[in-house]
Amino acid sequence: MAHEDAGRRWQYLSDSLTRATSRRDFIVSVSAAGALSLLPRAAGAQTEPYRIGVLLPTTGSGANYSERSIKALPLIAAEINRRGGMLGRHPIELHFRDTQTKPDVGAREARSLILNEKVKTVIGTWSSAVAMAVQEIVHEHKVLHLCSTSNSSRIVHENYTPYTFMFGPDSRMQSLSTVVAISKMIKAKGWKNYVTLGLDYEWGRDAQRTFVEGLRSASPETKLIRELWAKLGETDFGSYITAIMALKPDFMFGAIAGKDNETFLQQAAAAGLLKRVAYPGVFLPVTELMQQAKTLPRGIIGLARCPFFAHMDNPMMQGYVRMYQEKFGKADFPDDFACMHFDALNALAQVAAKAGSVETETLRRALVGATVDTCRGRLTLRDCNNQLDAPSYVGEVVDSKDYPFPIFDLKSLIVVKGQEVWLPSCDEARKLQKKRA
Amino acid sequence: MDLSALALQLLSGLSRAMMLFLLASGLSLTFGVMNILNFAHATLWLLGGYLCFSVFQWLTQAGGLGSWALVPAIATSMAAMFAIGWALERFLIRRMYGRELPEQLLLTFALILVIGDLIKIIWGTQNRRLPVVIEPIEMLDSFVNPYYFVIIAAGCAVAAGLWAFLHRSRYGRIVRAAVYSRDMVSALGIRIPTIYAGVFALGVAIAALSAGLFLPVMSIGLGMDMQIIVQCFAVVVIGGFGSILGTFVASLIVGIVYAFTILIWPEGALVVIFLILVAVLIVRPWGLFGSEQRT
Repeated sequence: MAHEDAGRRWQYLSDSLTRATSRRDFIVSVSAAGALSLLPRAAGAQTEPYRIGVLLPTTGSGANYSERSIKALPLIAAEINRRGGMLGRHPIELHFRDTQTKPDVGAREARSLILNEKVKTVIGTWSSAVAMAVQEIVHEHKVLHLCSTSNSSRIVHENYTPYTFMFGPDSRMQSLSTVVAISKMIKAKGWKNYVTLGLDYEWGRDAQRTFVEGLRSASPETKLIRELWAKLGETDFGSYITAIMALKPDFMFGAIAGKDNETFLQQAAAAGLLKRVAYPGVFLPVTELMQQAKTLPRGIIGLARCPFFAHMDNPMMQGYVRMYQEKFGKADFPDDFACMHFDALNALAQVAAKAGSVETETLRRALVGATVDTCRGRLTLRDCNNQLDAPSYVGEVVDSKDYPFPIFDLKSLIVVKGQEVWLPSCDEARKLQKKRA
Repeated sequence: MDLSALALQLLSGLSRAMMLFLLASGLSLTFGVMNILNFAHATLWLLGGYLCFSVFQWLTQAGGLGSWALVPAIATSMAAMFAIGWALERFLIRRMYGRELPEQLLLTFALILVIGDLIKIIWGTQNRRLPVVIEPIEMLDSFVNPYYFVIIAAGCAVAAGLWAFLHRSRYGRIVRAAVYSRDMVSALGIRIPTIYAGVFALGVAIAALSAGLFLPVMSIGLGMDMQIIVQCFAVVVIGGFGSILGTFVASLIVGIVYAFTILIWPEGALVVIFLILVAVLIVRPWGLFGSEQRT
């Protein structure tokens, strides 16, 4: 009977998250997720749940990239809860809130989660601007923040708080990984000049600046002809595309993400930009490889943060993909963001087990410099800025017989380790870090 | 920079202009004729886009029509949105006539939230795009997106159609008269509520047309309505409330100026547009082709 109820609740939750996540659904889903994650408790010890606030957008430009994370998190929590939860006796209880991809809303919801729902950890967000607003709140209330999608390098440097832990490569690492790959191409193809097109907001500026500075060091003779900036949410890149073609660069670097990236690629392919100008390092998470399966130009060089197909030899990744597909069907796959959320939540549970406590300060201290098993392998959180040694993946988009969408060519895939591209020394990282009270 | 590059920039600017015109013309109609500030115009545009997407998917999967399914998909979404527009005017918007602007804003803002959640319930949070591959054509020593010409042609056709409707048809003349004095038109025995419902529904149907037309070159997703509504208002204000010619000219100004500013001062492209808006508001608050006379 309990199984039937659980099945119905799970079905409702899964359906509502698969089809939609309205404000009302969000609340219902939260209850369902909470109920689901508490299920094993009925059979086990009656102890205090470990409350985690999930801050992700179901509206705004980040909604598209958050859907699979929202679907996967209750699944991951339920899996941990099957083992009894944190420390085997604190079942994880998830409380979802929609940040609407807006910093003020994100900060408000973070505060509400901490004060009203008594969460001890916050996981999310999508936008770096929202993440930095949330950092102020978690620091004030001394609550852990698992940052699994937002990746401005300011989060772990200029806006650093000891309560935030970053589980993906930051924008600096991501841009420098592109530098590593592009430097090889510059030598091979004799490229001399380039333009950049970035989204004019925190992440876009940060990613563009890091790339330009990195390439200046790696290849000083390569000339930046023009910097172009498009507003976040641009719907028509036509004039940017013709401007780039008029400048006739050898290649372009794009700091474009989300729906804007999808729209840009759509319009760039139709306008022939990709035939005339090389565009290596375009951000192509699994989300977009799936969504643009039919139209994505093959042969372009993409960059990803946590593509599952690069780690299907890792039993942890295999298990995660299997668990995800058992729930959401064989046609669906966890995207980069869902993978990073999986790693973040699992890392928290692993560290709690090692520390023998779920008390926030103990957990925070245990996370600093911790080495954890992730679906990307065994990785370490850097002790001076809480940045995971997360790799970036640069590869050529090719069709695959194993998946119904293109992936990166696994034979030529460049995996750039985090430690190869993060700030070389901790002293440099500390110099940048915000001094907080 | 050579002439062919400038010509291409002009072409992309014209395409952007026509996109803006298609988006803003419906808003201009309802704003100008009914004095209703429909803040939800872009959200209705988005709903039209999602409807078009679903019909297209159904037609391609069930009917095997290929890319040409876009034509009946747009027609279906326009018809559906016309009906939705009519119903909205009949049951909601009508209650706002003569009410204060903040009340109109509140109602239409509520519509944004309701329709946004409706979209989320039906279509989810993933971006939607048509799996249509557009191959570039060679022109002017470069490649060009051939769809630019489709958008430019559609924009010109809608402009000409609306102009002919407003200036050559009896119904259109009544609509224009209602812009200046709804009381006088009403006194002549013409049913103003029916006129208004028709105009509102037409504006929403044009929004659906533009959404459908953009789908092959644009992904649609939640929240983008709020990003485009500001530009729609800018165009309508510069052109003049209720003036289709004004909206057309303003779209051309905004589109072309934006395209060329990207070449010279990319960071300031949007700033220049809003400087134009401010200048128009100071010198001619009723817009380039609008009129002060409204009762």
